[in-house]
Amino acid sequence: MSLSRIPRIGIGGPVGSGKTMLIEQIVPILKNKGYDVGIISNDVVSKEDAERMRKNLATEKGLMSEDLVIGIATGGCPHTAVREDPSINISVVEEMEIKHPNLDLIIIESGGDNITTTFSPALADYFIYIIDVSSGDKYPRKRGLGIETCDLLVINKIDIAPYIGADLGIMERDAKHIRQDKPFVFVNSKTGQGVTETTNYIVRDLLFNALPKSKINI
Amino acid sequence: MSIKMGDNSISIDDVSFLQLSDSFFPTGLYATSNGLELLFYSKNKKLTYADIFDFITAYLIQQIGPTDCSIIGNVYDCIQKNDCLKLLELDSMYYYMRLIEETRSASTRSGIQLLRCISSFIDDNEIVNFYLQNIKDGCAKGVYPVSFALSCNAMNIKKERSGLMLMYGFTISIVGAALRLGILQHYDGQRIIHEIKPVILSNVIKNINRSSSNIWQFIPQLDIIQIHHEQMDSKMFIT
Repeated sequence: MSLSRIPRIGIGGPVGSGKTMLIEQIVPILKNKGYDVGIISNDVVSKEDAERMRKNLATEKGLMSEDLVIGIATGGCPHTAVREDPSINISVVEEMEIKHPNLDLIIIESGGDNITTTFSPALADYFIYIIDVSSGDKYPRKRGLGIETCDLLVINKIDIAPYIGADLGIMERDAKHIRQDKPFVFVNSKTGQGVTETTNYIVRDLLFNALPKSKINI
Repeated sequence: MSIKMGDNSISIDDVSFLQLSDSFFPTGLYATSNGLELLFYSKNKKLTYADIFDFITAYLIQQIGPTDCSIIGNVYDCIQKNDCLKLLELDSMYYYMRLIEETRSASTRSGIQLLRCISSFIDDNEIVNFYLQNIKDGCAKGVYPVSFALSCNAMNIKKERSGLMLMYGFTISIVGAALRLGILQHYDGQRIIHEIKPVILSNVIKNINRSSSNIWQFIPQLDIIQIHHEQMDSKMFIT
């Protein structure tokens, strides 16, 4: 059991919405600011996302050690693993906290799920819900707990809007209406557009602009 | 609090019995198949009702009964005798009897989370706090059957009933995995639970008072299946 809780972000969203790629984009920016990050990736089947991030972020880019990317298979119940019964994820987070107490942040990626996904507050302190434009511009106004209650809504793949007839103006209007004062960001994870803004929200609203532990320890 | 109704009475302890038996109680068991997933694929997704019944029965008779259920009985004895050292010995014994790494870690993760959940609303149980402190200090592993027995005892559930609950919980976790894999439909799932009740009952009676020196398990084929499951590239379940 951990002595001090390391801030945790939960990232949820439908299958293929870009959760893994968003993490691959924000971790280098966080690292560049001096923040050390661990990742726990839930997957409905396989640990493919975890292996991809380990290879990309740890092995190739050297942004973290390989044991800081952990995959969890969730028995076909991605929402159960992060909301109703987060006990397995909490165990893995706490093991990571004990082993790596100097981490600034732990990212927990949910398996791909539906629009009702939320994270248990016992598991995550900050919740990003990601949807993508390919599902149509109706998505924000369809609501769902994920879209309504997350701390930050990310609308990904904005580059393909013209090709599928999605109107970003409608998505912006509906997101503002549904979420009122809560933020949302348009993102293109392929190019990195909107990713810095996303990272800034994390640093401001989760880390409260705290200095990275590595800089404090110096 | 208890209420008398004719010759019968019901109490808060009965509700606790239901609470800890419910698959809604957070312990992570929904993510375990105990090797069923590997067996399913190795048989070209052609497992039958009888296969699932035999799979669960083999586990109950050859492992969950003589090991897990016996551990529960011994933990209750430790509580009665206030024998904390023996409790730690049981924890260690069970941990090292789990041959497969993923089953060891699944057991300790579920066990620790179960106890922490219980201690969030029962914070004055001395032996629960002792065990949690030893886990924190690295002197105990926190294996599931020990944690489960301590939790049941903390909620005034009797030893034999704890054994029933553990065996029942294991059964529904396998039935749940079979449903998710599409092997069974929900009527069949409930029928298996119904038909396996005598196996559960007889194995609790047979094992709950087994001494710690006579705890055993022998289920080599299923151990091998679990070893192969551990190495699967793509899988739904932790075990």
